[in-house]
Amino acid sequence: MKHKAHRFFASMLVAAFFASTPGMAAEIPNIPTPTEGWNTVWHEVLIDLWVIGILFGSLGAYFLVKYRAKDPDAVGSGKKLDFRQALAWCLIPCALFLADDFMLAAKGWTLWNTQRTIPAGSMEIKVTASQWNFTYEYPNGVEISSTDRDTDKNLFGTEIMDGDLVIPVGKPIVMRMISSDVIHSFGLTDYRLKEDIMPGRVTYIWFMARKPNISQVVCVEFCGTNHSGMYNRVVAVSKANYDTWLAKKKQEATLRRRTYAANIIKR
Amino acid sequence: MRALTVLLGLVLICALLPVGAQAQYYKPPESDLDPSIMVIDEKKFLGAKLDGNVPLITKDGKEVPLSSFLGQPLILVLAYYTCDGSCSVINHELIKMLDDVKRVQHGKDYRILTLSFDNHDNLKTTGAFRRKLEGIEKYKDSWTLATFKNEADLKAQTAKIGFKFFWSPQDRLFLHPGAFLFFSPEGRLIRILYPSQADAGDVDLALLDARQGQFRPQEIINFAISLCYSYNYQDGKYTLSIPIFVGFGALGIGITTLFSSLYIYRRRQQKILKGEIDEAQSA
Amino acid sequence: MTVATDGIPEDTGSSHGGFKLKEWIFTTDHKRIGIMYLIGSIAALLVAGLMAMGIRIEQTYVGESGLIQYFVGDFAGNMTTGDAYNAALYFHGAAMILAFLIPGLTGFAANYLVPLMIGAPDVAFPRINALSLWLFWMGILVALLSFIIPDAPDIMWTGYPPYSITTSTNTAFYVFTVHLLGFASILGAVNFLVTIIYMRAPGMGWNQMNMFVWTTFAAFIIQLIFVPVLAAAVTLLLLDKYAGTNFYNPDAGGDVLLYQNLFWFYSHPAVYVIFLPAMGIMYEVIATMAKNRIFNYKVAVWGGIIGILVITGEVWVHHLYIAGMPNWIRIGQMITTLMISVPVGLMVISWWGTLYKGSITYSTAMKYASANMFLVLVGGLTGIPLAMTSMTVHLSETSFIHAHFHFIMALFATFSMFAAVYHWFPKMTGRSAEGKLADAAFYVTFLGTQLTFWPLFIIGIEGMPRRYWNYEMFPQFEPYHMVATIGSFIIAFGAALMILNWIKAAINGPKVGANPWKSRSLEWTHTDIIAGPGNFPKPVTVSEDWTPYDYANADGTPNTSN
Repeated sequence: MKHKAHRFFASMLVAAFFASTPGMAAEIPNIPTPTEGWNTVWHEVLIDLWVIGILFGSLGAYFLVKYRAKDPDAVGSGKKLDFRQALAWCLIPCALFLADDFMLAAKGWTLWNTQRTIPAGSMEIKVTASQWNFTYEYPNGVEISSTDRDTDKNLFGTEIMDGDLVIPVGKPIVMRMISSDVIHSFGLTDYRLKEDIMPGRVTYIWFMARKPNISQVVCVEFCGTNHSGMYNRVVAVSKANYDTWLAKKKQEATLRRRTYAANIIKR
Repeated sequence: MRALTVLLGLVLICALLPVGAQAQYYKPPESDLDPSIMVIDEKKFLGAKLDGNVPLITKDGKEVPLSSFLGQPLILVLAYYTCDGSCSVINHELIKMLDDVKRVQHGKDYRILTLSFDNHDNLKTTGAFRRKLEGIEKYKDSWTLATFKNEADLKAQTAKIGFKFFWSPQDRLFLHPGAFLFFSPEGRLIRILYPSQADAGDVDLALLDARQGQFRPQEIINFAISLCYSYNYQDGKYTLSIPIFVGFGALGIGITTLFSSLYIYRRRQQKILKGEIDEAQSA
Repeated sequence: MTVATDGIPEDTGSSHGGFKLKEWIFTTDHKRIGIMYLIGSIAALLVAGLMAMGIRIEQTYVGESGLIQYFVGDFAGNMTTGDAYNAALYFHGAAMILAFLIPGLTGFAANYLVPLMIGAPDVAFPRINALSLWLFWMGILVALLSFIIPDAPDIMWTGYPPYSITTSTNTAFYVFTVHLLGFASILGAVNFLVTIIYMRAPGMGWNQMNMFVWTTFAAFIIQLIFVPVLAAAVTLLLLDKYAGTNFYNPDAGGDVLLYQNLFWFYSHPAVYVIFLPAMGIMYEVIATMAKNRIFNYKVAVWGGIIGILVITGEVWVHHLYIAGMPNWIRIGQMITTLMISVPVGLMVISWWGTLYKGSITYSTAMKYASANMFLVLVGGLTGIPLAMTSMTVHLSETSFIHAHFHFIMALFATFSMFAAVYHWFPKMTGRSAEGKLADAAFYVTFLGTQLTFWPLFIIGIEGMPRRYWNYEMFPQFEPYHMVATIGSFIIAFGAALMILNWIKAAINGPKVGANPWKSRSLEWTHTDIIAGPGNFPKPVTVSEDWTPYDYANADGTPNTSN
């Protein structure tokens, strides 16, 4: 069971190849995205952490080695700080910590504005989360259910599953999200984004793919038995391929509706 | 359920008033009238965003984009201007409720827009409809009556927020939901209230809700008030959030316990001390 | 039954020699209550640790292990893997925090040490103290019952509605566990605050108290203020589930976010209820073993401990960074949350400074303390990106979070507990638990923790979600999970060695003299090695310039006075 699943997904990842359309780069709007912003700030934060970590870590290690007891009866010789020293040892570290905090807060704030300001000209997809499924509704009414895991190999040479969230490259995508039962969360791991989905409240998230690729969207707020089965792929494809896919889905939906109606009439 | 009955009632009023005696002969069969048409499926359409670029024609004949009404919370009423019944009733209800809204000021904190979903409406019908609305003069700077410029926009925007309507040729009127739609400053549908269920207090809270948590520092009280209430989808009203008060109440328990136990301990120690002194004195 | 009239138990067992079960059950002696708290919390640790093993085994490979059901007592295999995993995860989280860390640090350590450190014969209300102990035991019992009942709770220790209301499992057991343990904690808090305020030895000023007493004082203030809020929040949960009210039902006017706010309004401060006493134990161990005064004592107390106390009630929204709170609240909370680094930083500087010019003897407790320097550094620094709203939108609910809080809360505080047991082992048993076995247990456990949690940091950054028993969408994380599982086995082995060592040492460890660490703190200097009833042979008074850390004079020369 395990190895089967393993191979299946690995093959899917490998099989994902995409031809980039010439001249596509020109279509991609040059706006800051949450994904790149996150990666940049993360690297800056990491540097900050390593500097502080190495500083304190090496100092601590040095003390631990240097001040080993020379003889069992020896006592430490730390002096009592006088008032001015004590105050300095309070205020200077406080100032340094606060400076670091505010530097990080400023970076975080800028990124936050990118993350929460939806750019103009975005495409809105409605997400309805339920136990244990995401339903995506595209602007033209096409509905995708994340638990459909059948693959469709005949579409522009790429394996696309029925439950895949297919998006065009270079278009800001807004997810308008609501839950029909318990709290879920929409976690776009490779896009570095998350937002909870709650019953009775609407939440938003926006992201944009710059290149065709495949990533995962997972439910990241605990929602019961099959919490870890609530996921699907996000497949970013070129605009042309996206249009092909959407047209096909629309056609399928129309066909399904007609068959359904025909069945009812027959009865 | 109550919501539906009242709404159906409203529609019936709409049907009865213009056609008078005809109504006695015509009873729509129950199955014909799908009640879901008369309400907006809020779970599906909350958060939907209006297109700000859509051109509208105001009652003065000016062409303005929809976005000129946004930038602050907006109450939208969709109606048609040749309607004598429910449409003017709804607008009247809104006037009455807004008269009682105290926490926010029209014009400064929110705007009101009545939009026609009938593409046959024109400046004449708009003007006539407005003249029938008593009390709207108070809101002349903040309340606009307008029509869509293009029929395509009309269809697209009403579909976007799930507002369904259709013409009933027998009754010669439109069947449509009678609702107040609250939009956020950026034009997203935040709340739908029905005049049959909601009152001025709910309109007030829905206007605070439409701010989407974006409050100016001097409005901290309004923010606090909006936290104390949450919307009840079943009743179509705002209700008090009891857990907040229970939580605050619970905060006091521990502190009270501490001070009373400090007191008890001290009194006990004093008693012991007194006992010892008495003992010493008697000895 | 012993009767306490004036705060001094008249009879806490005729002697501490010879074991009589009745004496232990009806005891009001803070030392015995402390030891029973220790036994209860270690029991909770072992069961919760077993659950952790189950969780790790399940996650080792993509797909089902088929073993997790056995861990939650479902030997017939009636539960699905998902349900069994969730039940194990619920128990692990709830038991570790509510039944091990909080009672271990504020129950065992506070009970055993605070009266001894301040020179008091017992706590202010000994019988209430005993009641608190038995409520704690009942809480553990109710928590353990979830393995016997069908439909064990699977709502995680957070118990967020609507899931905790709509689930078919027994939310009530969670609520009652919280009630019992919360009530036990409130009683403990009242007791110790009164004790610390009124029962310090004559002459002991506030700035002469042990660091551990200070941290306990702050922790209990937090418990007292915030626990009732949690109790109220879960009570409403109970009413919603079983009495049909709609406090948290979004369809009927309830608000799903309100529970999360109330929950974290307590549960973020609860982190400091764990962190502060753990830090206090570290200060005691380090100052004693480095034979040095606490570096910048007043700043560590008034800036560090009291600073945390002041800031703790304003930062809970950082647990709701992705929960749809208004944007400006999330960004405002980023600044307050980052500012936690100031008091914590002051405490860390004071800790490092205490080592400076010290004379360090490496007892087992000191080894744990040295390891803790590393744990607090990693755990604290990884908290910085998590304080930043815009970083948390990715890191939240990944195994990065879970590695972070295991470092700063689970490992750090647990190591502090272990250090406390080793450091005060002679006090409790009259015997020493040092030795090769203790060392081996320490090194093995430390290695295991690092193997377990570093891989989780790495895959967390890449987006491995928390609370996933199956990760078929991320097969590339499998090797990391394997390493983590191996690490968890090593921890279990280390823990087994440690428990074995404790039992061995308690029975026939080498006997030690009255003050084996040459400490200057009251619990070593003024009592017998095993403190008898009433603690101190004669009432303690301390002079104005006494401190528990006066190994050296103000100018750094050795203090030769007694």
